[in-house]
Amino acid sequence: MLVGIVFWVLAVVAVTAGAAVFVVDSMARATYALALSFIAVGVQILLLGQSYLGIITILMMVMEMAVMAVYMVMFMGMNPALMPMDMTHGKKTAIVASAGVFVLLAAGALLVPWPQRRGVPPEDLTHALGLEIMGEKMLVMAVVGPVMVATIVAGVVLAAHRTRYDRFGDDLRRRPADDPQPGGVGR
Amino acid sequence: MGLSGALARLAVRATRVLVVEVPGHWATRMEVEHQLLRRGWRPAWTPADADVLAVCGAPGPELSELVDRLWEQMPGPRVRADITSPGTVGSALDAAAALLLDTPHHRTDAQERAQEPEIPEDADHGGHGGMDHGEMDHGEMDHGGHGGHGGMDMAPEGIPLAEGGEDRDGLEMDVLHLPLGPVLPFWPAGLVLRCSLQGDVVVNAEASMVDGRNDDEDDGAGAAGPSAGPAPAAVVRCDQVMALLALAGVEDAAACARRARDALLCGDEDAARDAVERLDRTVRRSWLLRSSLRGVLLLDRAGLERHGLPGHCRGDAHDRLLSRVERIRAEAGGTEPTPAEDGGVPWAVVPDLVTGLELGSVRLAVASLDLDPHPAVQAVGHG
Amino acid sequence: MAESVVTTVPGGWAVLAGILLCGLAFFAVALDAALSARAQGTGGGWGAPLGRAARLLRQRRRSTVAADTLLWRIGGAGMLVGAFLMIAVIPLGEWTLADLDVGVVWFNTVDVMVWALVWLAGWGANSAHGLVGGYRFLAHGLAYELPLMFALVAPAIAAGSLAVGDVAAAQDGVWFVVWMPVAFLVFLIGVTGFSVWGPFAPALAADIGGGVLAELSGVDRLVLQAGRYLFLTAGAAFSVPLFLGGGAGPVLPGWAWVLVKTVAVLAVLVWLRRKLPLLRPDRFMEIGWMVLLPAAVLQDLVVSLVVVWKG
Repeated sequence: MLVGIVFWVLAVVAVTAGAAVFVVDSMARATYALALSFIAVGVQILLLGQSYLGIITILMMVMEMAVMAVYMVMFMGMNPALMPMDMTHGKKTAIVASAGVFVLLAAGALLVPWPQRRGVPPEDLTHALGLEIMGEKMLVMAVVGPVMVATIVAGVVLAAHRTRYDRFGDDLRRRPADDPQPGGVGR
Repeated sequence: MGLSGALARLAVRATRVLVVEVPGHWATRMEVEHQLLRRGWRPAWTPADADVLAVCGAPGPELSELVDRLWEQMPGPRVRADITSPGTVGSALDAAAALLLDTPHHRTDAQERAQEPEIPEDADHGGHGGMDHGEMDHGEMDHGGHGGHGGMDMAPEGIPLAEGGEDRDGLEMDVLHLPLGPVLPFWPAGLVLRCSLQGDVVVNAEASMVDGRNDDEDDGAGAAGPSAGPAPAAVVRCDQVMALLALAGVEDAAACARRARDALLCGDEDAARDAVERLDRTVRRSWLLRSSLRGVLLLDRAGLERHGLPGHCRGDAHDRLLSRVERIRAEAGGTEPTPAEDGGVPWAVVPDLVTGLELGSVRLAVASLDLDPHPAVQAVGHG
Repeated sequence: MAESVVTTVPGGWAVLAGILLCGLAFFAVALDAALSARAQGTGGGWGAPLGRAARLLRQRRRSTVAADTLLWRIGGAGMLVGAFLMIAVIPLGEWTLADLDVGVVWFNTVDVMVWALVWLAGWGANSAHGLVGGYRFLAHGLAYELPLMFALVAPAIAAGSLAVGDVAAAQDGVWFVVWMPVAFLVFLIGVTGFSVWGPFAPALAADIGGGVLAELSGVDRLVLQAGRYLFLTAGAAFSVPLFLGGGAGPVLPGWAWVLVKTVAVLAVLVWLRRKLPLLRPDRFMEIGWMVLLPAAVLQDLVVSLVVVWKG
């Protein structure tokens, strides 16, 4: 009963905070409204008994929003704390698209014949979930991780406009490197 | 009454003092710092944290205006202490402590003052508007000489929007105008550095002295200096070392430098020598301090010549720190007279030196130089 | 899973846990004040926390032009609340408030909250110095957080569980600090990091007039400062079940050992603050990624190999 009430309250919080993202007039508030929405969802997952997934959702999303706020402010040409600004763009398309997606998902949730529970939930849900997701694909997952990191690094290297020749000189022998902002290791 | 009185008495034991030094009145400032520590008080870094505003010396018109603005920004209970000479520090602080306890007075003060923070109307005149804000009116952070913004004259709450400019990577980035000084912790008294920031990198800077004190006035400064004891140059140098160490965040070493300074100031030579030796050991031994100061404002021979700087500024902030501590040792030990090459750094070169540095490095770089604003040093070398 | 090794106490005991945390944090403030007074050559200092708190309670709150007051206050108050959330999973000897099966991740989540809170506190004041402070903290966060996460992984691998009680119980032979010193060190760096403490305080540094604290006065300043000390205390307390054998020790009961070890770690962290310079964010970033992260990952590898080898 109590869990049910809390779940519904969280659901309202999540949706309201999600809507607030488009209503508030500052980027910091929009970002952290989204963070609040995610936290509410994370707590809901906790209520479903999936403590690992719930907590990791909160962890990832708060971290992500903290970084996203920086990017939002960085890419916006005006000092955004001061200038009230509209958080919406291309309204008609956006409204049609989001309403359509919502109807689709809601219809899916309501119309799909959900299976009845068979058996009882395992004692250690996190363990069981991990096996279910990863069990047979451990090798794939283990490979995907490093590949993703390598992709990120390669992307940054390709995007950076300074190359190692700018840093170390044409014969790559200059030490320490010539950087506009030297790092702490002293390379 | 009983409870609030007890709370007030307890609170006064931890009073924080915002010290404003009128250029030249370093002796008064050092005496204030010395006495407030003895009372268990601490210096405040901003008006937001201050209970007492201690103005050391008689400020000129420009600084007076700024002091009034600092006063406006103090949360209250607040007390202002005008201290004109080192001799009156004790009584002024006593009076401040007594007034801090007067709760009804502060209640009236709270009702009578402006209830909302606001930007003074005259703050927007041309380029000089920005400098009045010292370090604290960040509310007005985008001040500067900007008029409109490409036809968009948007200025929410009276704060103009930032303009863009090309940054060092060739990308467009907002430019923020931030004045450093004249009231800023561990900053040369009276110096105002109007910085244009992109992110926290200073892309442009202009220096000036508050109240135009760039000529060699020495009103009050001579009288404020101690009449006896070791050369004030060692005291001033100790003070600068303390500032640099405090900015680098090594609190124990900074405290050690301050004790050395106070001992030198009151002529206690044994204590001074002790403290200087300890300071020397601490500074030399700390490799973390070295790694934190290494490469800050590195000046080679060509750089020194280009900026017309004296030879002892050579190297990076850590080199300058070591050589300065070495000189203090020599002076405190009384073994050798100050060498003749003892010229200070004229403050006018600071903008050239700090352009391109990150804000934290700017503070370390400025603290690592023997800047001239102190008349005591000015009298010795540079004219 | 095996039977839980710790007893979950009813929620009412949370009050006692909160009081304990406040008491330990008070000790940290007092020790810091005493060390500061000694360094300055003035006496006393142990009573200073009371005076400081009284001063801030008596001081009026203030605001700035065009401040985002809501976010600003959330940033400050959140720091105070966060630390109490953290201690919910720390067992005091054999009792715990919440025997969460993923307690280690819970700790990690709460410490990530600090990213948002400090940045918000810096942002809300609409002050250039506060903003610089907030960004400095995020830069530090990017550098210390990943090494901290990998440091948290090491004890969890060795214990084969993410529950804090299990991790503590897995050290009945030899404490984890003995064979995972690197993880312990990185963990302590992380604790100082998310407490914005000592070398990780450039966000609050003198060069930017106190940074995030620059515009805070009165009770708003009090909650943020108290939050920092509480986080430092909670972090020190968490190192006990994770690396220092939990309540293990001779003669004294388990809860007493937990407190003794917490006080010891806390005292070291407070003492170190005065000795170490600030780690500048632009420099520490490289240290975090080039030194600490590989070191923590290697530590995890060693721990994993040992666990596999022992079967």
